[in-house]
Amino acid sequence: MSTTPRRFPTLLVALIGVAVIALAVFFARGPRAPAPDPVPSEGAAAAPAPGAGRTIAHAQGSTVVAEHPKQVVVFDLAALDTLDALGVDVQGVAGEYFPGQLAKYADAKKYPRYGTLFEPDYEALHAARPDLVITGGRSSARYTKLAAMVPTIDQTTDDAHFVDTVVGNTQRLATVFGKEEQARTLVEALKQSIATLKGTTASRGKGLIVLTSGGRMSAYGPGSRFGVLHDTFGIPPAAPSLKASLHGEAVGSEFILETNPDWLFVIDRDAAIGEGGGAQRLLDNELVHQTTAWKQGQVVYLEPANTYLIGGGIQSLRRLMEQISDVYAKPRQPSAP
Amino acid sequence: MSTRSPDSPPLPEPGFAPRASVASHEASARSEPLPMSGAKGAPLPLLAVAVLGVLVLAGISLLIGVSHVSWEALLAPSENQRAVQVLVISRVPRTLALLLAGMSLAVAGLIMQMLARNRFVEPFTAGTAESASLGLLAVTLLAPGLPILARTAVAACFAMAGTALFLFILRRIPLRSALVVPVVGLVLGAIFDAATTFFAYRFSLLQSLMAWTTGDFSSVLRGRYELLWGAFVLTVIAYVVADRFTVAGMGEAFTTNLGLSHPRIMALGLAIVAMVTAVVVATVGMIPFIGLVVPNVVSLIVGDNARRSIPWVAVLGAGFVLLCDIVGRVVRQPYEIPVGTVAGVVGSLLFLHLLLRRDDRVG
Repeated sequence: MSTTPRRFPTLLVALIGVAVIALAVFFARGPRAPAPDPVPSEGAAAAPAPGAGRTIAHAQGSTVVAEHPKQVVVFDLAALDTLDALGVDVQGVAGEYFPGQLAKYADAKKYPRYGTLFEPDYEALHAARPDLVITGGRSSARYTKLAAMVPTIDQTTDDAHFVDTVVGNTQRLATVFGKEEQARTLVEALKQSIATLKGTTASRGKGLIVLTSGGRMSAYGPGSRFGVLHDTFGIPPAAPSLKASLHGEAVGSEFILETNPDWLFVIDRDAAIGEGGGAQRLLDNELVHQTTAWKQGQVVYLEPANTYLIGGGIQSLRRLMEQISDVYAKPRQPSAP
Repeated sequence: MSTRSPDSPPLPEPGFAPRASVASHEASARSEPLPMSGAKGAPLPLLAVAVLGVLVLAGISLLIGVSHVSWEALLAPSENQRAVQVLVISRVPRTLALLLAGMSLAVAGLIMQMLARNRFVEPFTAGTAESASLGLLAVTLLAPGLPILARTAVAACFAMAGTALFLFILRRIPLRSALVVPVVGLVLGAIFDAATTFFAYRFSLLQSLMAWTTGDFSSVLRGRYELLWGAFVLTVIAYVVADRFTVAGMGEAFTTNLGLSHPRIMALGLAIVAMVTAVVVATVGMIPFIGLVVPNVVSLIVGDNARRSIPWVAVLGAGFVLLCDIVGRVVRQPYEIPVGTVAGVVGSLLFLHLLLRRDDRVG
């Protein structure tokens, strides 16, 4: 009898205790949640010229960057592409494969490697102590760790506002390196060609974007990684119900047949990374042959490396648009490419 | 070939196979059989029911997909050319590919279990599939232009070497518990996998590797799956020589006592398993668990005589893969979930059920 009234308060006290601890933990962690802020300031302390820095806001917070950074290491092909367009020289790069307009960076003697796009070589970076590290896309997940070491800015693009972020990234790099004039010219040219392209695409039929890899296909829609074709270039989507997702939706040839696009835009992922691509072989089948896109020779193999690997650079975006403008400008052909 | 017909000696049920007569480490290698019921032979009508079930599933598979195909449309072909075309070009090949891959993988799993004398191995837990995909990667890197048949042949060679290495290791190490065998297989498979991943990573092929190794029938069309008939032929061969596998499953000494060449049977089984795995991995990718779950379920129904169980294993294997692919096609229409993913989920649940059920019996 006597134990029951005593046990109840004990249980209650224990429960309250647990609740208090839980709340304390919750609130103690709460304010720390936006982690990127304190980290870059730590990095800023490591910046060589105190007082000479400027605060640069970017995709993952803001960072104090030296006035004219000399030693720059880039972990993003899109940023490298934009820097190249701005005429900025970099001192270090990442990865092994430098396609198209970036071919000159393949010279490992001139441009030392600091790891891969996915995994920086922290020891080499620590030894080199660059003034600025630029991450983006594939390397953006390593931002926090890099920012704790050296001043780092992140140039990740937002698929939903692709062109805006590409322009914003270009302007940011221009500010950092004092290339505002060049950036203005580039952005103006970009906007102009977007306007021109938009005028030609809307009335020319619907398009479907397909990425092929290892003998499989996935489809991409508006707002997705390659959604810029629909969202900005104004190509009406043949499958508007496709949700935005990084790796697309797995589809078969039947899906292409039923969607029956007027234009089929193909990104051959395996060709993008330099391996013999099988996109043509995959799509050259009796079901795809029945689509309008195939019959009218409107299957467009987008420059794979430019589209898939570089993506959000200002030059690569221009090249993508030029390629699409070219195919839209050509008279229709009776047979497939 | 051996001189004596394997049919002649009255075969004991392998579940109660020789004990003292077999060399000691071989005896300990034998895994405990899963509980058996009705081992004295399954009623044929039951098999007919299973076949009927698979046929129904195949019928459903013909009607499921992005394009509209229905019986009405097929019965009036003149008005519905599209439906007939889709059926012939896409649905029938896909359904056949599913049936063929399911049958041959399940039977390959059964043979593997007999050769390794352990119920926990299958091509995907013994390094066979991993070495096959290492072979495919090697072809992709060194000779990307090779036709599919040559690619498959190279993959089969790798698979054979990998599986032979697995069986060789099994003979060399003391097997104190039935679980050592699958552990060795998993370790070996992981080593092959590590090599594959290393080269794929160095050559930026990781994602392509993922894509081609995940079992997926979405790219199966007329003209793109026919190699799987080869796997079917191998399965038929396995059925023809089934009794030899039953005997080999009882150990080397026992096999030799019956006047059969144990190494020869091992080599034949090895070749069948490796070629089937290579063909399936090269055409549609890996489908896990089927070679593990199906033979174990079948041994619950009909016991361990290979001649009796192969038809069952083939039918249930086909049904299992068909069902997984139908689920993968329906869940997110018009998009797909690869059959490898579905089979992984369904197969692991089934396998857990089998294991727990076994404990129930023991406890």
